[in-house]
Amino acid sequence: MDLRHLLFTLALICANDSHSASDDLLQWPQISKCRSPEMETFSCYWTAGNFYNLTAPRIIQLLYKKSNEEDWKECPDYITSGQNSCYFNASYTSVWTPYCVQLASENEVFDKKCFSVDEIVLPDPPVHLNWTLLNTSQTGIHGDIQVRWDPPPTADVRKGWITLEYELQYKEVNETKWKELKPRLSTMVPLYSLKTARDYEIRIRSRQRTSEKFGEFSEILYVSFSQIGIGCDHCTDEVEFPWFLVVVFGVCGLAVTVISILLSKQPRLKMLIFPPVPVPKIKGIDPDLLKKGKLDEVNSILACHDNYKTQLYNDDLWVEFIELDIEDPDEKNRASDTDRLLSEEHLKSHGCLGAKDDDSGRASCCEPDIPETDFSASDTCDATSDSDQFKKATEKEEDLLCLDRQDNESLPSIANTDPQRRHRNTQSQNSHPWAPFADSIESPRLSVHTQMSNQNSLTSTDFYAQVSDITPAGRVVLSPGQKSKLGRAQHEGCTEQNFTMDNTYFCEADVKKCIAVTSPEENEPHVQEQSYNEDAYFTTESLTTTVANLGAPTAEPPSSEMPVADYTSIHIVHSPQGLVLNATALPVPDKEFNVSCGYVSTDQLNKIMP
Amino acid sequence: MYLYLHYEEPVCADLQDERYAQGRGFIAKAVNGCHTASLTTPEDKEQAQQIHHEDLLNLILGVLRSWNDPLVHLASEVQRIKEAPETILWKAVEIEEQNKRLLEGMEKIVGRVHSGEVGNDIYTPWEGLPSLQLADEDSRLFAFYNLLHCLRRDSHKIDNYLKVLKCRLIHDNNC
Repeated sequence: MDLRHLLFTLALICANDSHSASDDLLQWPQISKCRSPEMETFSCYWTAGNFYNLTAPRIIQLLYKKSNEEDWKECPDYITSGQNSCYFNASYTSVWTPYCVQLASENEVFDKKCFSVDEIVLPDPPVHLNWTLLNTSQTGIHGDIQVRWDPPPTADVRKGWITLEYELQYKEVNETKWKELKPRLSTMVPLYSLKTARDYEIRIRSRQRTSEKFGEFSEILYVSFSQIGIGCDHCTDEVEFPWFLVVVFGVCGLAVTVISILLSKQPRLKMLIFPPVPVPKIKGIDPDLLKKGKLDEVNSILACHDNYKTQLYNDDLWVEFIELDIEDPDEKNRASDTDRLLSEEHLKSHGCLGAKDDDSGRASCCEPDIPETDFSASDTCDATSDSDQFKKATEKEEDLLCLDRQDNESLPSIANTDPQRRHRNTQSQNSHPWAPFADSIESPRLSVHTQMSNQNSLTSTDFYAQVSDITPAGRVVLSPGQKSKLGRAQHEGCTEQNFTMDNTYFCEADVKKCIAVTSPEENEPHVQEQSYNEDAYFTTESLTTTVANLGAPTAEPPSSEMPVADYTSIHIVHSPQGLVLNATALPVPDKEFNVSCGYVSTDQLNKIMP
Repeated sequence: MYLYLHYEEPVCADLQDERYAQGRGFIAKAVNGCHTASLTTPEDKEQAQQIHHEDLLNLILGVLRSWNDPLVHLASEVQRIKEAPETILWKAVEIEEQNKRLLEGMEKIVGRVHSGEVGNDIYTPWEGLPSLQLADEDSRLFAFYNLLHCLRRDSHKIDNYLKVLKCRLIHDNNC
């Protein structure tokens, strides 16, 4: 019972399905398309469906209405465009007016469509296709042709009412896929590199320029080179360039060459092909220098560059110099030089120490093209950042580098250039000290003089002397120091280092002086701080600040029983920790110091100093 | 006289048909009248050939002027459409700028042609801004669709008129 019930249900379902299928076959009339070939007339086409077959014959009408009209009108021409069509001639066509058409029969509307004529333009295909030969290749295998055609006759292109675009497609006769060219406005197009041994087919279609849809294709144009007698009978086999072989052999050859170069023993060839990668290098630094461990020289050179802090080196030098100090038997000779310095206040007319060259004012050794103004030059090298030090400096500023030789007018200019050259934080502060400096340039001379006299009377058993002041004459005023004992060892180290290092460059200022700034760590931390900040090269400011920080101008000249050597210059090797006083006269030729960057090489030093 | 042709590419076709119309059945609806419908412009080839070229130039100028304001608002309002892609935004701006350039060019040309007064009276104001700012998104989009449709049609019209003038005056009807 259940099974039969189930079967009956299935049969019903199947019957329903077949019944609905038959219902689908009854297709309602539909408007298939409306098209205007030239934007002057248009036609609408519809499909009648199987409506006539199944029901009583009824007349299908096409009604149209413009957007600004109320009533539906019937199609004016059912014949011209064929069956199931409606043709609207030019008098019924308004191009940019919205139309609505509907397919109806006795008040029953089957389909409706709204459009405007400018949207339904599909031009006719071009006519009169032909081709001409342009040229052939030398081998005769390929040829170029020019294809020409005319626009469809219905489109009024001459008066500019419609503008057409053309798309050309071509292919070899036995191919299946058409090659397309880009749409263009002109009615001729060249085709390049066609094989003369093959035949081609060409077809063209057109569309209105502002539309996207193309019209129908034109008739196919056949291109055959043999017809005009230039066919190439024996070129059936295409000779293609053996790219693959070329690439393979090229790669192999290159690999062989590279390997042979790498393995070859010729370093020159290797360098030529594979140049060595340059390692980072600091100007003026010899890598060997670092390896040998001559930290002082490195320190001096590096300190010429900004921002270099010689903290670590300072500490090492401190220890080193202490040791040297104990061992050095000649320290007394050195100490006498200090005294000598002090007594030679008016040694020179300009009170310059050492250098007679015009560059003596130049404390900076970093930039050789610094103008002659001393302070501007020294500014660049100066690393002093504490304004306090400057203020002290201005009170006791002495020019060890012949500053007093300069005009006082240069000082205001320096004051102007000073802030420009400062790269540190204390730019604004630094400018101020210079002004009082200019004023006080004269006064320190007197005070120093008195100091010197005081100092001369003092005696000290220490080998070191703390430089407390520097006279304008270029003298170093030493104070009796429990504090720092570096002077001896430092300048000792200076001289040693000067002569023992190869290819080391010294600043011009260094050549002149090697000032031992002995600042006890425990008592004068800011001096150390200042020395840390400074460049290695001696500058007026650095000297003065260190001198100023040393406090009371209690210079300690070495014992007077030392034979006083006659020296004319102080040799500076590095930062204000080292002062080398030359025991012998220094004939300082001007020219030798005029090297680039104010550096003086060791060899030149050796020439100068016996 | 040099007549140079600039015409606005009807990119509106992309904007409206693909983006909105197909999804929401706009195509079936009859397009509402454009605000420039009141300007009596030639509707077929015969009328375009019979109209005097000076009058045609003035008509073109009037249409361009009438579109200046709507385009400005279109460019600004289209940015409020949530789902508008980038291309629509910059295309709207581009069209507005092109219209301005075209207007300037046309005014120069008309100035040369018309030694006398320039037909400033041909102008239709646009009052469709509120429709672009409707709260209901569908209504707002429909307003955009209509505006773009009208823009497309008018730009096609102007393009045609200019071509007709060019072929008539420069190439002597033999383009």
